[in-house]
This record gives sequence, structure tokens and C-alpha cells, in this order.
Amino acid sequence: MPIIVMERLPLPNLRTYTCASVLALSACIYYATYIVKDPDWNTSKSDLEIAPPNSEGEFVNNNTNNTSADERTFSQFTGDAFSVMTKEPVCVWIMINMAYCWLILLGRCVQKFVFGQLRVSEQQHLEEKFWNFVFYKFIFVFGVINVQYLEEVLLWCSWFSLLGFLHLLSQLGKDRFEYLSFSPTTPAWSHAKLLGLLGCIFAFSLFMFLVSIFVGFFQGLNTFAFMSAEVILLGIRTLHVIVRYALHLYDICRESNTSLNRDTATALEKRGPVIYYIELGFEIAALVVDFVHHVHMLLWSNIFLSMASLVICMQLRYLFHEIQRRCKKHRNYLWVLNHMEQNYPMASAEEIAENSDNCAICWEKMETARKLPCTHLFHTMCLQSWLEQDKSCPTCRLTLNIENPSDNRPEPSEIQHNPTQPTRQPLNHFFHFDGSRYVSWLPSFSVEVSQLPRLSRAAASNSQLDAMARQVQQLFPHYTIPIIIEDLRVTRSVELTIENILDGRLNSPPVFRESDDPSSSTSNVPLSLLQNNEQPSHSSNSQQNWDEITVENVESEDAVAIGSRFSKSPTEREQILYKRKERLIQTARKRYVEKQKKISET
Amino acid sequence: MAGSALRRLMAEYKQLTLNPPEGIIAGPINEENFFEWEALITGPEGTCFEGGVFPAKLIFPPDYPLSPPKMQFTCEMFHPNIYADGRVCISILHAPGDDPMGYESSAERWSPVQSVEKILLSVVSMLAEPNDESGANVDAAKMWRENRDEFNKIAERIVRRTLGIPT
Ligand SMILES: [Zn+2]
Ligand SMILES: [Zn+2]
Repeated sequence: MPIIVMERLPLPNLRTYTCASVLALSACIYYATYIVKDPDWNTSKSDLEIAPPNSEGEFVNNNTNNTSADERTFSQFTGDAFSVMTKEPVCVWIMINMAYCWLILLGRCVQKFVFGQLRVSEQQHLEEKFWNFVFYKFIFVFGVINVQYLEEVLLWCSWFSLLGFLHLLSQLGKDRFEYLSFSPTTPAWSHAKLLGLLGCIFAFSLFMFLVSIFVGFFQGLNTFAFMSAEVILLGIRTLHVIVRYALHLYDICRESNTSLNRDTATALEKRGPVIYYIELGFEIAALVVDFVHHVHMLLWSNIFLSMASLVICMQLRYLFHEIQRRCKKHRNYLWVLNHMEQNYPMASAEEIAENSDNCAICWEKMETARKLPCTHLFHTMCLQSWLEQDKSCPTCRLTLNIENPSDNRPEPSEIQHNPTQPTRQPLNHFFHFDGSRYVSWLPSFSVEVSQLPRLSRAAASNSQLDAMARQVQQLFPHYTIPIIIEDLRVTRSVELTIENILDGRLNSPPVFRESDDPSSSTSNVPLSLLQNNEQPSHSSNSQQNWDEITVENVESEDAVAIGSRFSKSPTEREQILYKRKERLIQTARKRYVEKQKKISET
Repeated sequence: MAGSALRRLMAEYKQLTLNPPEGIIAGPINEENFFEWEALITGPEGTCFEGGVFPAKLIFPPDYPLSPPKMQFTCEMFHPNIYADGRVCISILHAPGDDPMGYESSAERWSPVQSVEKILLSVVSMLAEPNDESGANVDAAKMWRENRDEFNKIAERIVRRTLGIPT
């Protein structure tokens, strides 16, 4: 569920924050050592009240003690200093702040090392996930288990901070994996780094699970369940990404050694359902754990009429729908599988040999295949995934007589339906937190929970909006930045704005710009192929002087170098493609100018 | 999912590079993301778009080829079947399920047997023979029917712009 924080806090940049934290901590340490230097620090407080220090006898006494102070070992000394710091509330907060500072710095290091520059959509996901997590854990700590003591609040907060940190990294890893899987040429090193990070997160989640068992042993089953639910979710999600990653890498390796024999091909056919069930298992497991966790919170806390219960109920409803949707999809899968096995026999070896074509769906060679009534052949897996969404032969469009008793075919709108947007009607709630209930100096504030699906994130700063708008404009140069920003303010997401544009929901730019503005029109030409062709505008009619227009000679010897060759190296492929594009445009220009010359001559 | 889509896109890219159809070039904009292509389409001869080289963007879904890609011209276009923002409206790009226009038979719709090459060839023939029934751009459709000279003039201007020749 998306969240909007009413007032955005102006965040200082990381460097100032770190400096301030370190400064505060050193001041704190200085203060503590200053106190501890006095060997009587333990008793002096009470002594001071009884006897004023400027009395003669007290002074002597102090002096004798000072010599004995040197006998304290260093570790004792630091231990004393530490205990002073834990007793002083300001010092405690400074230390907590320092811990968060460390966490943020660690996160930044991991980001620098593993991810490099984050992409805009990754940043968005991250922010969304962050606020979601903070919001739910906040509800949990103050609404559900209703902690009474500062120590408990601190313990829960530190537990969830660590978990949230790992969750964010895991989310980032997932996003990055999905992006990398769009590219055939990612260097092995970046795969290794990402996989290593995911492995670490998984190991950490195992470790935290053990910790929660340990704590639960002393504190009871409920505490264990509350602590471990989020850890288990983290573990499942991370493992899911790891497994998908491994399968993906396996696929890539398979592609590189193309010598496929019949055995591996049939093994691949059998692998299909296994992968499907692994995916299904992970998805259902995550949903069920989350669902049970929420039910547990609801039942345990007896908070049926409070704000927290409302939030939990809405989340439960969403999770329930998700589980239902997944089950429906699975039924459809089973049904199609069953139908296929009954009605479409495996093609015989002769039939496959006769049909020299590749599978029309994936364009790969067929070692085994299924035959439709129209005698068209396809891989079992390819056919399966197509029949799940349409009931016709892909090649000849023969309508297959499939009558699914409960037609579960998801509507197209449902396919594109973003699973993170459970409901469409706007539903706003205010959540008020009065911190003074716990500790006098805690702040009070309100959070607005909004279920309006488009408002999916906390407000983005203007610079972020600009960056996003530029990203959108690259795709749709016809839209001006202000129009895009206006829409982004509502959608908060590049994807949603692009969808809006593609669906025509955005104010269209003028149908056809009559103004002759060469700079704006040529900027649409790809890859700025037309470098030096801009010339002062002529009067726009056919009486142009065509000789003025220069046309670069299209080198023909270059044609041999680029002609009909599919390089193995991606950079070379890119260069060749670029050259081919350039040449196509130059040839077209030349031809056009020559033709116009001919026309104007006659 | 993305793995099989990637292999198929690679195969299509290879085929389009080795046997390119006349006047058509297509390939990924950046090899880091194989799911975003740019295509250059030469206007068919004997039509008002003759000689122009029109750039367009193709965005593929992760479950390609089960779902069709989205196609959008990135240069200015004025055509009955192209929206003002450049999106192309032809039946081959519509998934079998959805039918925004309401009168296309599913035989012309997307199927995994279609390919980038077939899409681009259909776009070329669409440039040659607009289908003024499906009004993606109503103004263009009206002008195409009623004032062909004016339409040709606009098309001529677009062609020159794509070639970088001042109008
Ligand atoms: Zn296949
Ligand atoms: Zn068939």
C-alpha cells in the first residue's frame, strides 16, 4: 500500500550528516572520558551534594585518589566511559544516530561496489519500498504490540532497521537482475558481484532466523513469530531471486554451446514444469507467510477497532486477492496442460524430420514437438504458454476447440494490472502518532495512508522529477517537459506516465506543428545522424537551389566492411548498426536531392 | 521468461542484419538493453512518403513473443493510422485479447509467429495505403479523404525533415 508522508523532511547530504554524527559522537566520548577521569565519578555526584569541593579535606582526599586512578586498566576505563554514555540520554541518542550513520554508509558502499549508478526506476522502487516498510513496522511496533518501554522500542526498531536494510538491498538486487537479464552481454564480473551480494543477504537472513529462534526461546512463541515472519519473507524473496538468477545463467551458458543433442533437448522439455513449480512455490510461499503474519497480528493484539487493525485488514484483503489470482492462474495452467496432453499428440520423429522449420514461437530447433489438429508443430512449453493466453494456432489462426469450463483466461487489463495496486478507489486514512505517550521528548505526527494507486510514492524532489521527465521525453520527444512533469507529479512513476502517454491519457501535443522550426524537427532524427546538414531556412517551395545542399559521398568500399555480417562482439554490432543507419539516411538524402534536381531542371 | 525472449530477439536481430528487407534497418539501441530497438523505415516509392527515412522505437515486453511490442515513431508523422504522439495503430500490433477499434478480426492480430520484420513490412504498406477506417489521427484521415494535395504537402515536409533537408 502506498504511503504519502505529509511533509517531506529536507535531508542533509551524506557527507554533512556523517561529519555531524562523528562530531557529536566525539563530543560525547570526550564528555564521558572527562567525567571518568575523576576516579570518584561513581560516588562524586552524591558526595558533591553533601560536601562542597572547596573544603580542604576533600581536596587532599581527591589527590590521593588521583594516583590510584592510573592503576585502572584501559579496558576498565573505557568500560566506565561506556557506562556513563549509556546513562546519559543525549549520549544514547547520539550513539543510535551513529549506528544509523554506519548503516547508511555501509549501504552506500555496497551500492558503489555492486550496483554503481542506480537507474531511475530502481531508485523509485527503493524509495517506495522504504516508506512502505517504515510505515508498516511503525504500525506494528506502536499499533500492534503496543510497546510500553523505551528499551523495547529500541530493540524492535534496531531489529527492523537491520531487516529493512536487507530488504532494500534484496529489492535492489532483484531489480538489477531483471535489468541485466535484458542484456546478452553482461560481463561475468557484475553477475558474480550481484550473486555474491544476494548470497550474503540470504546468509544474513538465516543468521537472523537463528537469532529470532534464540530470542523466542526466552520470550515465547509470539515474539518468535513476529520476529521471524519478516526474516522468512526476506529469505524466501532472496532465494527466489537467486534461483531465477541461476536458471538464467544456466540458460545463457546453454546458448553459448549450441551443440544440442536429443537428450539435452528432452531434458529441457522436462525442465519446463519443474521451473514452473519452483516459481509457483516461491510466490505462494511468500504470500502465505505474509498472510499468516498479518492474521497473527490481528488476532494477537485484540485491536479490532483501531486504526492499525484497519490497515492490517486492508493488507489482508490485498494478500488474499493475490493468492486467489495466483491459484486461478495455476488452475488455468493445469487445465491447458491436461487439455494438451489429451488432444495434441507428440509428433513422431518422421514428422519432425519432414518439417524442417524451427518452432515458430521461439525460433529454435525442435527435437520434440506437439502437433495441433492443423498439423502445425510447436515445442510443448512454447505451445503451453501461448495456449494459456489464447486458444488458437499461432501459425494458421485455427480456433482450437477449447472450452475451459471456468474460463479463467485473464483479461488483458488484468494481465497488465500492477499487482501492487490492489484497489482502484481512493481511500485515505490519517494515522496519528502521539509519541509523548511513550517518552516525553518523542515527536507527534500524522501520516496519511492513501490507496489511490497512482499516488504510489512519497513526494519526489523537483530534480528527480526533472530526471524522470527527461527520461520520458527521450521516448516521446513530442511532449514538452512541463506536460510530462505535470503528469509525473500525479503518477510518480516513469512507467505509469509512459503508460498514460501510450494510452493517450495525456494531453496530446498539437496534431501537427505548422511552425517551421528546423532545430526542433531535426532533433527527432535518430542518433543525431544529421550533423552538419542544418542550413538557413529557404523559402519553403520547390524553387530551391538544390545544388546548395551538400551530400556526402557514400563510400562504397565501406559497404563491404559492414555488409551482411553479424558480428559476435556487441560493440562491433553496435558500430555496424550505427554505420548502416547512417548510410541509409545518406543514400536517401542523396537520392532525394538528385530527384529534386531532375525535377527542377525539367 | 526474459531468457527465451532474449534468444528470440537475438535470432531476429541476426536475421534482420544478414537479410535486411529493402530500406529497413532495425536493432537494439543499446546492447545493454535488448528490449528497446530503433528501426529506420524508408518511405515506399510512389507514395507521398517516398524517400523519407522514418525512425521509430520498438519496445518489447518481457514475455515477447507471446505479447506484441509497442511501436512509436520518434519523428513527426502525419498519417491516419499514427497517433499524434507517434504510436502506430495497426492490427498486427494488437494482442488477440484486446480490440480497441472493435472491428478487427483476430486473424490479423498479433501471434508469436509474427516478427519484427513482419511488423515493419506491415508498417511500410500502411504508409503506402492508409486505412482511413481506423482513425488514430482523425484530422489526417479527414485530410487524406478530402484534401489529398494538402496531405501530400505535409507528407513532403515530413520527408524533408527526416532527411535533414530544409523545408
Ligand atoms: Zn519453441
Ligand atoms: Zn495451425
